[in-house]
Amino acid sequence: MSSDKFPVSKRVLVADDDPAMRHLISTIIKRQEYEVVVAEDGRAAFRILQSDSAFKAAILDMTMPFLEGLDLIRYMRTEKRLMRIPIMMITAEQDIKLMASSFAAGATAFLPKPFTPAQLQSAIRILLGNRQLRKIAA
Amino acid sequence: MLFERTTKIESQETKLLVPVPAGVVGDAVDMELLNAFEELQADDETDLIVELIDLYLTDAPQRMLAIREAALANDWLLLKRAAHNLKGSSANLGIRQVAETCRKLEGTEYEHSTESLADLLRQMDDEFSRASEALLSERQRRLQ
Repeated sequence: MSSDKFPVSKRVLVADDDPAMRHLISTIIKRQEYEVVVAEDGRAAFRILQSDSAFKAAILDMTMPFLEGLDLIRYMRTEKRLMRIPIMMITAEQDIKLMASSFAAGATAFLPKPFTPAQLQSAIRILLGNRQLRKIAA
Repeated sequence: MLFERTTKIESQETKLLVPVPAGVVGDAVDMELLNAFEELQADDETDLIVELIDLYLTDAPQRMLAIREAALANDWLLLKRAAHNLKGSSANLGIRQVAETCRKLEGTEYEHSTESLADLLRQMDDEFSRASEALLSERQRRLQ
């Protein structure tokens, strides 16, 4: 996808195999005047990341076909051009160990489903611009 | 409920295990939860709730088919994965009973209980039918 219309810092990668979730997240991100690059599964996200690193942030679902969110995080954290991109992991798994694994792999934030619209908005706002988060990601 | 990397994980354990609130169990769809997404609605855009309903009603049958196919193939790993996915998309839109059935499908050890699998698959179909009816009714109400 071309980044001509939006500067590098205004693009967000959203990888989730749930179309309703992709739509919901994309709606919020677009409202904040960011461009959304969507991936329908982990493999599609991986392919995008292989050739494109111009993202302000990435929002990844944990369980996706072909490649899991956790694997994508590990990949991103080992690639120099991707390693500073803040990542939020979204999952239906309410497992404390999974949250710990996500952070250990390099996730910046973790949002378990189900979440309210306010929680999702707040999470995205934090991921995209919060000063405290920048400090964490630095 | 967002957790950042600096969050003290141990202290969040109780929050993560909060049960489904009383009053919504037994309903096919928690309309209050679904309609809460209205706050994301922009004035000049298509009805977001209708879009979410349409996306769910298109996607969920495919996920249910994947669950059935995995059951027929005795592929428990695939079945649990498909159930997990449907659980997530259902729970977030307030379709709690489908989500709850998927939670059971995800957690059952089928090697020891083929009978309960058949029951759960039936339950999944029933709950989805009830949810579809409620969602379509809500969709119609919104488009009037």
